[in-house]
Order: sequence, then C-alpha cells, then structure tokens
Amino acid sequence: MHLDKKERSLLGFSAILLGFLFVLLIKAQGAAGSQMTVQETAIPSLIKTEQENQQLSIENSKIEQELVKYHQGQSASVLLNQQVKEAMMNAGLIEVTGPGVQITLDDSTRVATGEEDPNNYFIHEEYIREILNALWNGGAEAIAVNGQRVTTLTEVFCGGSFIQINGTRQMPPYVIGAIGDSHNLSAALKFYGYSWDRLGEFQEQYGITRKLEVLEDIKTPAGKLRNYHYAEPVKEGT
Amino acid sequence: MHRWKRTLALPVTMVAIALGFLIALQAQTQKNVSAAEQISAQRMSQMKAVLTNSQEQNAQLQERHKELSERLDLARKQVGTDPQLLVHLKQLKMLDGTQEVEGPGILISIDDRNKKVTFPLYTDEILRMINTLKLAGAEAISINGQRIVGSTAIVLSGSSTILVNQVPINRTEGSPYELSAIGDQDTLLDYVSQLDGKTLKDRGMTVSIARKTLRIPSYKGSYTFKEAKTLPAQGA
Repeated sequence: MHLDKKERSLLGFSAILLGFLFVLLIKAQGAAGSQMTVQETAIPSLIKTEQENQQLSIENSKIEQELVKYHQGQSASVLLNQQVKEAMMNAGLIEVTGPGVQITLDDSTRVATGEEDPNNYFIHEEYIREILNALWNGGAEAIAVNGQRVTTLTEVFCGGSFIQINGTRQMPPYVIGAIGDSHNLSAALKFYGYSWDRLGEFQEQYGITRKLEVLEDIKTPAGKLRNYHYAEPVKEGT
Repeated sequence: MHRWKRTLALPVTMVAIALGFLIALQAQTQKNVSAAEQISAQRMSQMKAVLTNSQEQNAQLQERHKELSERLDLARKQVGTDPQLLVHLKQLKMLDGTQEVEGPGILISIDDRNKKVTFPLYTDEILRMINTLKLAGAEAISINGQRIVGSTAIVLSGSSTILVNQVPINRTEGSPYELSAIGDQDTLLDYVSQLDGKTLKDRGMTVSIARKTLRIPSYKGSYTFKEAKTLPAQGA
C-alpha cells in the first residue's frame, strides 16, 4: 500500500489520538476502582476501634468502682475474691446449669458395604468443631462435650477411633450440651453448621444419629486451669 | 482531494466514525468519573473524620486506663492484698483472654491472594489451624489482632468477610491472615508445618511460619451470663 505524506501524517495523528484516549479511559477506570478498596478497609478498623473503646470504657468504670470501694475502706480480700470468682466464671472454671440445647451424635449401627465410603458411617471431629463454632456464634454461654467443658484452650482432635478433647479420649456417642437461648442456638446451628445439614442426610442414608433436644436443665461441669510456661502477662503501662 | 484513492475512502470514514464515537464516550465517562470521585472523596473524608474521632477517643481511654491501673496497683499494695491471690487472678485472666500476654511463640502468615488458589481460605481451615495450635499446647492465640477465647466464633459474613469475635478481620496491607501463638516454639512449628501448613501450601497459598517473641492482645468482647447459673454449693 502506497501512502503519500498527507495520508501518513493523518494516520499517525489519529493513532496518537486513539492511544491518548485509551490511556485516559484506563486511568478513569482505575480511579473508580481504587477508591472503593480504601473505603472498605476503613470500615473494619472503625468497627475494631469502636469495640475497643467500648471495652476500655467498661474496664475503666470497673476499675473506678473498685478504687471507690478501696477508698471506702472495704476489705481488699473480699474485693479480690469477687474478681477471682468473676474471672473463673468467664474462663469456664465453675460448673453451671441452665436451659439450652443438647445435641447427640453417634456412629451408624450399620457397616459400610461394597463400594460405600465408610467415612459416612462415622462421626468426625470436624462436625463437632463446626457445631461448637455455630453454637458460640448463637450466643452459647457454656458448652461441654461428653462432660468436658469447652474452654479457651480446648482442642477437638481426631485421634483415630476416638476424639481427643481436653486431652481425654472421648468415644461416641458424643453429647454436646450448650447453655443459652435455645431458640438462638438452634437457629445458629441450622444457619452456620454446614455439617448439620450433611449429618441430617447421613442420618437418612447411612443411619448415623443426629439429635437436637431443647432442655430446661443442662449441666456443664467446671473446666481446669492450666499452668502457663511461656506466656506472661504484659505489665500495665508498658 | 482528487489524490485520495477510492479504496481508502471507506476505511477512513469508518475510522473517523469510531473516533468520534470514542471521543463522545470518553467525555461522558470523564464526567461520570469526576462526579463519582467527588462523592467518594466526600465519603472518605467523612469516614476518616469518624475514624480519627474514635481513634482519639481510644487513645484517651487507654491513657485513662493506664492511670487507673497504676492507682489500682497502688491501692492494692496499700491495703496489703494477698500477692498469691493476685497471681491467681492474673492467671485466670490469661485463660479467659482479658489479659494481654507476651512470650515466645510462632507467627504464621498466610496469603491466599494467588493465581494458583482456586478458593480463598475457608473459615473451617482457620478453625482447624487454631485447633492444631491448641493441640500443640499454645497458651494464647490470636488472628489479625483478635484474641481467640473459648467463646470465639469464626464465621463468614456475606461472601468474603470473615468475622472473629464479631469483628471483621480482613486486611489489605501485608498478608491477609496472621496467626500468633505463644507456646513451645518447636512443638508449635512442628505441628503447624506438618498438618495445616502443608495442606494450605498444597492449595497454592503462601504460608510462612516464623519463631518470634510475641505480644498477644486481650479479648475485647465481653462475657455475659443470662441463662447459666452457678450451683448453690459452689456459689459460696
């Protein structure tokens, strides 16, 4: 193709214009996109700070109250004992009772035949973990599995034929007792316990047990305090 | 214009039309974008104002907390509180998570923003990893600054926001997920790298585990007991 000078310059000019336009377009697109992410990260940090503020003001007023009590000349040991009791309650070291839900899970009485996956006939530790997570989300106040109180450091680990909880061997049936609003607890279980639905299917197909009962009186025994070897409390004011 | 070739007339016309169309589109977009930028900037400044406000409040509260804690310590000393009982209280508070702790441990960074990763990190996988850490004897655990306590639930809100202790933990700078655990470094490292670290790496994520001396923040939520009652025998 032969182009004379005029045509060539025209073509060059339009190519430059086109390139320029594209750059503008991309820049505009980028600006619109990046703005969103900045905003999205601001929200979590805002929620976090707000929550911290709330917690700090609660803590501050608690200390203020305590200081007032000291000034009024209340017995120090009584005060401290109160705090110890409260902390024990929070940490799950006190046996409590109350209304809530009880979940029973058991392996199937049948045995896998032929090509079937034998895993579908057993209760696995991840079901229990998911159920516990859902129950806490539903506002559970205290939970115990087979009489083992679930505390901050409780593990639910598969050890082969048994499930290790709080360092003890637990065999099926697994009975999970949770104290709290039974309506909220059941709702959370159905919403967040993905395994809950799956377990329902397994119950029909393979004969495992999945039972949910609303009880007026559930007991969760006291957990144990453990010794700390590595973690040290951070000194106030550092 | 007689020098123009007939064959060139059609393509040139087409290009001219396309160019005109593009220019018009560009003008339109530019208008929209600048309007959107304005709104967005406005929102950002409002958001920043709220955030700065609450951060200032936070600093004030922390200052006050420090001052009060010092006074409390002093008052306790004056009335002669049993030091052993105080130690016991501190230990209990480490267990319920309301005490900030420090000590040797490991820091696990997980990055799932990778082309090889088909699905981002599941909440179940976080749960499993925390469980592994507990099994390995971790004494305190946190993920992205949220202390893990007994009643911690890790759930998905919407399609991609992970809530821990009801607080979103998503972050943009650095690795998306950072788990801190205090305990025996060798055991923790061993368990995590053998169990979960391997699984996540197989899924294409970047997992790095480092020995570190860590500080793990306190649990900022609150414990409420509405339904649970202590037994009368233990109430005394």
